[in-house]
Amino acid sequence: MKSLQIPVEHTTLANGLRVVISPDRSAPVVTVGVYYNIGFRLEPQGRSGFAHLFEHMMFQGSENAGKMDHIRLVNSSGGVLNGSTRYDVTNYFQAVPSNALERMLWLEADRMRALKVDEENLRNQRDVVKEEVKVNVFNQPYGGFPWLDIPPVANRNWANAHNFYGDFSDLDAATLGDVQAFFRTYYAPNNAVLLMLGDVEPTEGFALAQRHFESVPAGALPPRADVSEPPQTEERRAVVEEKLGALPALAVGYHVPERGTREWHALAMADQALHGGRAGRLYRRLVLEKQMALECEGGIHYPMGDVFDYNGPMLMVTRILHKNEFTADQELAEYDAAVRELQAKGMDGAELEQVKIKFRSDFYSTMEGGMGGYVPRFGLMHYLACFTLFDNDPLGIHTALDGFLAVTPAQAQAAAQNYLVPTNRAIVIRRPVKNGGR
Amino acid sequence: MAAPPAPGARVTSPPALAAERQVVWPPRTVRTLPSGLLVVLVESHTIPKFTGQLMFRSGNAACAQRHAGLAEITAAVVRTGTASRNSRRIEEELRRMGADLSCSAGADSSAIAFSGLAEYSQGLLELAADLARNASFPKEEFEREKRRRLDELKIERSTPGFLAGERLRKVLFGAHPYAIVSPTPEHVEAYTLEALRGFYSAHYSPANAVFLVVGDFRAAEMLAEIERAFEGWRAASPSAPAYPEPPLAQGRCVQLVHIPGAVQTQVLVGNLAITRRHPDWPALTLANSIFGGAFHSRLVMNIREQKGYTYSPRSAAHALRDRGYFSVHAAVRNEVTAATLTEEFYEMDRMRALPVGDAELADAQNYLCGVFSLGLATQDGLSGQLATAYLNDLPGDYLETYRERIRALSAANVQRAAQNYFDSPNARIVLAGDREQVGEQAALFGDVAVYDAQGNRM
Repeated sequence: MKSLQIPVEHTTLANGLRVVISPDRSAPVVTVGVYYNIGFRLEPQGRSGFAHLFEHMMFQGSENAGKMDHIRLVNSSGGVLNGSTRYDVTNYFQAVPSNALERMLWLEADRMRALKVDEENLRNQRDVVKEEVKVNVFNQPYGGFPWLDIPPVANRNWANAHNFYGDFSDLDAATLGDVQAFFRTYYAPNNAVLLMLGDVEPTEGFALAQRHFESVPAGALPPRADVSEPPQTEERRAVVEEKLGALPALAVGYHVPERGTREWHALAMADQALHGGRAGRLYRRLVLEKQMALECEGGIHYPMGDVFDYNGPMLMVTRILHKNEFTADQELAEYDAAVRELQAKGMDGAELEQVKIKFRSDFYSTMEGGMGGYVPRFGLMHYLACFTLFDNDPLGIHTALDGFLAVTPAQAQAAAQNYLVPTNRAIVIRRPVKNGGR
Repeated sequence: MAAPPAPGARVTSPPALAAERQVVWPPRTVRTLPSGLLVVLVESHTIPKFTGQLMFRSGNAACAQRHAGLAEITAAVVRTGTASRNSRRIEEELRRMGADLSCSAGADSSAIAFSGLAEYSQGLLELAADLARNASFPKEEFEREKRRRLDELKIERSTPGFLAGERLRKVLFGAHPYAIVSPTPEHVEAYTLEALRGFYSAHYSPANAVFLVVGDFRAAEMLAEIERAFEGWRAASPSAPAYPEPPLAQGRCVQLVHIPGAVQTQVLVGNLAITRRHPDWPALTLANSIFGGAFHSRLVMNIREQKGYTYSPRSAAHALRDRGYFSVHAAVRNEVTAATLTEEFYEMDRMRALPVGDAELADAQNYLCGVFSLGLATQDGLSGQLATAYLNDLPGDYLETYRERIRALSAANVQRAAQNYFDSPNARIVLAGDREQVGEQAALFGDVAVYDAQGNRM
């Protein structure tokens, strides 16, 4: 087995900002990211969608780079940029020819130091975000399904159960004061990690990081909020209207064991056996053999991420788009049969071995690419950031696979028996309004 | 470069760019095997994987007049069985090699594409070769794919972005096969196994293919593995198809796809343009980048960052092999549909009437050259650039000289490209939205032809 050696060097600046560098000089480009340890889970109550709206505000101007300067300076340096908001992190990243490295660091440091936005910026981005929600959710068949539908049914803690894209009334209620308070609370260097990947000499990268970021003052971080979920004792169900799509859909989500535990590793392998593409048990059964469904996919943290990039309660979700001639209960019965088979007989050694090979292969691809191949090493950046922010251990990248590859057939089977039970799950049915789907 | 600031001092203006490192397209190995199969190999050792695209130069356009979408369903069924492997075995073998594989078809090509662990390269090549040569077209798999396609069509017809895009292709291309982006249910019902087999045997042939392989291998060894896996492949090559002319656009026309109750309107504007082989292609690309092809483009600044009409407006120059077209897209709130069109035409006309400034030109040149370099850093990026060059029959040094050609363009070149290919006086305007909400706004731009989601004139 040929393994992948990933060079990683890291340090912490005096203000608490962690800096992680992974050099690879094979192409003259560098990816620069800043990750903040704040996601939509922890946005303020009464301000659903705020973490994401705030992410938009980070492109609206900072002390020395006014509105549009950030975007112009990245594009005109030959680069691309974006940001995204997830459960537990918000990221800002750019991929550029390596001669623009220092300019990117300057831009990121400038907006970490001081955001400079006004009412007009906020109104503008609130409008933009509303159109984003419409294009992705309200005006899209199966929009938001199941990533927005299933958390409110499965979870009881507001942190895990609210509308992460935001109710429009909450977006309208957001003020400039909220923006500055959120920035002061969470966007401190000691709540962040800076990453450089690609064509960068580590000593030079650390020196540049120090030059531009060390003068940003540290903040007083709030104690970590309680995001835990109370134990579930009964199956939870909900029906949601599907306004555009003509076919019914179904999502099933199970709470998964705590991150990093042996059971979590084991359930992840059971997850791979059940989902895991066209060779997966669920796809084979529901789509290929029984021909009851058109699509069937899922996984832990599906569809927002994977097993590595969250830090708190999480679901293993399956999304099934199915044929009109079957009811949700018929689909579910077949789904349950596949799960029960795994629980009763487990995987043989050959199946588990295949699953592990594919898991390892996917890990490599994720690290190299992302964003359609145009943000090189996006996934490596993402994993290094998560391991740094969650575990203070960027070098965890070297051992991240070990726990999964050590799972035995008996452990995977036991995890399936213990966790994939009705009392631990939520079911959401999307029922089309158009053709009276059953 | 200026002296570095003292430690602790804040830098208040953006640092200058350092000297650019030389951008070198990695060497490639190009061979034509005795069968006529063109093989292109590029080493890239970023991860211990490799990726391959076996692309046949025939897609849905090659059979659109008789069987719309035939190439696509042929590809879907190719994946499900060969003379020696059934569907389940194929899927499990792929997983055992850590591989993903897709069989797909677009307008101009059909592809068997895969990526997998480099340590299993021989097995994966053999599987790909088996699909390319010995597909068995199992009846039950064909019937399932057909039913699946019928259900997929229902989803497509409920997707506003799809409906707008489909309508634009229809109005732009008329009798040309590029007008058809998706089959009707009647087309799908009429597919036969014989038609699929016929397409496969006529078009999945070595002389009609290019095989692009990028990844963690030594080129000489990979070439030997490919020769072994594809040895003895013989098949006749199809003749190049001839397509009817698309219609000439005279004056603006407006078509509206009525989606009752839509909370947003898809606004699409387009006109015919050029292919990548045309000498004006680099100038069009640069003009597009300044107009609406980048985040920092005039269109995005105007209707997103200043006006907040939309989330992700973009323009694009689309190059299909036989024809190209230019389009501008935005999904906007219903009330600003006409305002969006007004701004789009304003920006198009501004590009046509006035030369871009030196700084804006240099910024856009940097952008295109930089984005090109980003493609060199990953196996997928390299593979994508190769596909562009080889599927469009571009000159052998296209990739190596791309950046120079972009850098050589002037403001006059850009203005001329805008005049020729941002055809605002004859634009085809397509809206997908609620007629009650946006019909009057649409009428400001001409007589409106209204269609339902099934494509029927209302």
